[in-house]
Amino acid sequence: MQEKQKQLEYERLVLVYSDELFRYALWRCRDKSKAEDLVQETCMRAWKSLDKLRDVSSSKAWLMTILRNEHARLYARYRPEMVDMELDTVSLKDVNNDTTPEAFALKQALAELAEEYREPLLLQVIGGLSCEEIASVCNISKSATMTRLFRAKQKLRDVLRPEEGQVNA
Amino acid sequence: MMKCENFEFEYVAAPDEIAGDACEHLNTCSTCQSFVAKEKLFQEKLTAVINCDVPEGFRHSVRSHVVNSNTSFWSMPRASMALAASMLLAVGLVTLNSSFFNSQGIPLDKLVLEHLEYDGASSVLASTELETQELQTIAQRFGVRVKQSSHVMFAEKCPIGDSYGLHMVYQYQGKPITVIYMPEISSEEAVMVNYAGVKGWVKPLKKGSMAVLTSTANELPSVEQADQSIEWL
Repeated sequence: MQEKQKQLEYERLVLVYSDELFRYALWRCRDKSKAEDLVQETCMRAWKSLDKLRDVSSSKAWLMTILRNEHARLYARYRPEMVDMELDTVSLKDVNNDTTPEAFALKQALAELAEEYREPLLLQVIGGLSCEEIASVCNISKSATMTRLFRAKQKLRDVLRPEEGQVNA
Repeated sequence: MMKCENFEFEYVAAPDEIAGDACEHLNTCSTCQSFVAKEKLFQEKLTAVINCDVPEGFRHSVRSHVVNSNTSFWSMPRASMALAASMLLAVGLVTLNSSFFNSQGIPLDKLVLEHLEYDGASSVLASTELETQELQTIAQRFGVRVKQSSHVMFAEKCPIGDSYGLHMVYQYQGKPITVIYMPEISSEEAVMVNYAGVKGWVKPLKKGSMAVLTSTANELPSVEQADQSIEWL
């Protein structure tokens, strides 16, 4: 890839996806500063390996995969501590969010979701990734992705309207 | 024929990917139509909770991080920028004319509007005036000097088409004016822009072109005023 073309492509990636990367990173790190660092490291790694991006249409999934890997590389050893933190007081500090009781309940439920359920949901809602793309990022099958998404939403729906939360599957 | 429970599973798992049998089922099943209406409300709440605000200037800091980490990266063609900038000062009044095209065959006004779709909204929402030091950094990077009277709220190097442009927003009569300088995109004629709530013009320079835009509700500066607000070195 020519240097200028590479720079342009990188610029577009940052321009279009940096916000989504930050949101995804924030939910993974649960700390604004760490999320910012994580996105920067992700972009740095993306810049270094941009030549490997063959299909531009898969850029978003590619970036999310890099972020996921970078998170594991940078913060994996701190994970136990972060899991124990209170989401509402620590995770999204300094970031504007919906503060209604309903939103709080949803946030809490989302924080308590098992990682295997939360991960596909975040990729779908934040990144707008398709089930196939999520399957590729999480290294699971498409049907497993759909099942996890369904169960994740079912659990969260129960928080908002427990009496109606039962959907057959 | 698809069963309701199967439709519900598919819709909950991937609401944006419903197709084929599921679509047909939805069109004919009032129970599932009601389910979809409720589910959409839930999805909206979920999206609002998950999609938190991104700190102002975050994108810029991400780009700066890469710039600072790669000294060979991001070498602006400063000489050509300076040359084009100095030529900009010599440009007189513009004859506003019908639509024109750049070398890629894409209307220049379309290129500019496409770029505004990416970050136009966030750029004009910037509420903090850039500090002198930041402006000096911009001057060094882009070969531009911002005059004292121009209150610059936003300045970034952005991809426009297949080249870079300098995207700036400054205050004029208390309203944001967007200036996009495209040193590598040339054209023969100027064009008025009046589309999707945006008005202004894109005019050719001796080297490259420049767009001056604002909301249709705001006053545009004159061509001379726009030229004088930012001095190209």
